[in-house]
Amino acid sequence: MKPLRLWPQRLVGQVTLVLMLAVALEFIGSSILFENSRIYPNRDNQIRRAADQLVTAENILENTPAAERPQRAAALSNRVGRLVWSPQSGLVDRERSAEHKLRDQFRDAEPSLRGRDLHLNAELGHALPRDTHLKVALRLRDGTWLTLKTKIRAAPWAVLLSSVGSAFILGLGVIAAAALVLRNLSQPLRALAEAADKVGQDAHVRIGETGAGDLKLVAKAFNAMQDRIAGLLRARTDALAAVGHDLRTPLARLRLRAGFVKDAEAREALEADVDEMTAMLDSLLAYLGGQEDPEPRRRTDLAAIAMTVVDDAVDAGRPAAYVGLDHLPVQARPVSLKRAISNIVENALHYGGEANLTLTREGGAAVLAVEDSGPGIPEADLAGVLQPFHRLDIARARNTAGLGLGLTIVQQILQREGGTLVLKNRPEGGLRVELRLPAL
Amino acid sequence: MDYSGHGTIVPPREMATTPLAPTILIVEDDPALRTLLMRLLREEGFQPLSAGHGAEMARVLETNTVDLILLDVMLPGSNGFDLCRAIRRESEVPIVMLSARDDETDRLIGLELGADDYIGKPFSKKELIARIRAILRRAQGGSQSSQPRGHQQMTFAGWSLDPGRRELLSPDGAFVELSGAEFDLLLAFVTSPQRVIGRERLLEMSRARFSDASDRSIDVLVSRLRRKLAVTGQAEALLRTVRGVGYLFTATVERR
Repeated sequence: MKPLRLWPQRLVGQVTLVLMLAVALEFIGSSILFENSRIYPNRDNQIRRAADQLVTAENILENTPAAERPQRAAALSNRVGRLVWSPQSGLVDRERSAEHKLRDQFRDAEPSLRGRDLHLNAELGHALPRDTHLKVALRLRDGTWLTLKTKIRAAPWAVLLSSVGSAFILGLGVIAAAALVLRNLSQPLRALAEAADKVGQDAHVRIGETGAGDLKLVAKAFNAMQDRIAGLLRARTDALAAVGHDLRTPLARLRLRAGFVKDAEAREALEADVDEMTAMLDSLLAYLGGQEDPEPRRRTDLAAIAMTVVDDAVDAGRPAAYVGLDHLPVQARPVSLKRAISNIVENALHYGGEANLTLTREGGAAVLAVEDSGPGIPEADLAGVLQPFHRLDIARARNTAGLGLGLTIVQQILQREGGTLVLKNRPEGGLRVELRLPAL
Repeated sequence: MDYSGHGTIVPPREMATTPLAPTILIVEDDPALRTLLMRLLREEGFQPLSAGHGAEMARVLETNTVDLILLDVMLPGSNGFDLCRAIRRESEVPIVMLSARDDETDRLIGLELGADDYIGKPFSKKELIARIRAILRRAQGGSQSSQPRGHQQMTFAGWSLDPGRRELLSPDGAFVELSGAEFDLLLAFVTSPQRVIGRERLLEMSRARFSDASDRSIDVLVSRLRRKLAVTGQAEALLRTVRGVGYLFTATVERR
């Protein structure tokens, strides 16, 4: 048998239920607290009623034989006021201001009491809301006494005051309970927001499919959407990468054919063209494959990679230099890291005329700076150059080869290794590119 | 006999005219590239054979003695890695992998399977010929020398060198990037420890990838190697200069 589920599965149901419970609780609580105060008549009315009861009983008892008076008095008693008949007054009249005031009030309420013997004894209750316990003895015309024991409840505002505290606590409790439940409801929403914020930065974000039914649906849809986006991207990337790989064979043929060209000038031009196309393909494939690089991260000597890149440039007769540490291990993918450094050195050599590499350790960070003496990058373009396919006007004007992916790839690689890329124009001219990685 | 189609076996008459020319088998599925490679190798004085896929390669190997195999990775049917593994089970013939995928993982797989070199497409004529020559030279010398092959790891002074993966790890376990020439030079030192090695011999043993290979380049390579091996002044002692002769690798080498 399916278990009965009282807790609604959908968000609307849950929020409604919480609100309903809160309202109901508040309603019941306040009813209990305020109902009493509402049904209590005010002090004057209570005194008028007591006086009325006293006078009515007096009239009846005056016409009742003495033997039946005790029973009759008991019969005339009610929940509020108890009547007792006795031959003598057992009540000592307390001549205090409270009694004086009450006596006047009794006489105002029932003018027939004026001039009659009235003994009063009013005791203020100790406990809140400080009701007055009142005893009134009236001398009947035959000298016997009729005593009314009653309670004059404190004024409603006093009751209100005394209960406001508990009402306040009740309200707070209800609000806190509701907030707790709603917080639980909003927890999955917050997780979703955080996950959505991360999409596109990390490889893949999965969110737990928990919470209310609607939220579970949202989480499911969100995860499915991510899978679809990833699938679409992968399909595109795979297609582009396949084209890229397939282009290598005709390029290989072209390059070999170039070797047979007798005219040296034409051959070199051909080979340069093939090199350019290869470089573009390489950068495109590096950019596309960046997220799914199978290369494992490992302890890697950053200094050795920087030296190798510089040595390669020097061997090609280009002005590059390396100074700094002989060893500095970082956690990284060595091939990616080498590509990043090569791209930056290549840029420096191409646009800045030279590449001076400096490797230092700044606290917990390995800092590889590549400086050139070129024109730098206009401040307005500093952020833009990291965008894919972004090429500065200077590069276009010089008809420089490349797709504008170089720095994007560097940025991508550094992000994956937990590092940062900083581009600065040097005050003395030229660009300074800093690769910062956590040092081991 | 069919001389035009792929899988052509060069007729014995031609072989007879150049008895000393090394025979090179090209395994490549792209007919045009195969033809180009054939032509190029023939012009460079090699004896080229060709095959379009694995089965054809097996047929050629049955009837010919081959000095080196140029093996494409992406082949129809069994790929180059499978073929490389199959060849290694029977023969030590040098293998150069050709691949359209110039990535490190493929290169490592190729080298671990026992390939001697790995060239990414597109390669230039000069590059290809230089590599082929270097490997042939090493293979000829290799029969007498103790050139290591495969997974045998070597350790010296805390460093460890893996000739199969072509990797050098520092004493603290960090991967230390070496250029191809630097690696070959270090390998030459490590395989002949505590012996003075002349510059010419070192040049020969490190594949001469330098365009202007000279005595000077060996000195440059050694100084670069020294810096990469520098750990608290240990490096000076590792590679000692023997004035006027060459260099001496001082550390003891352990093989595992």
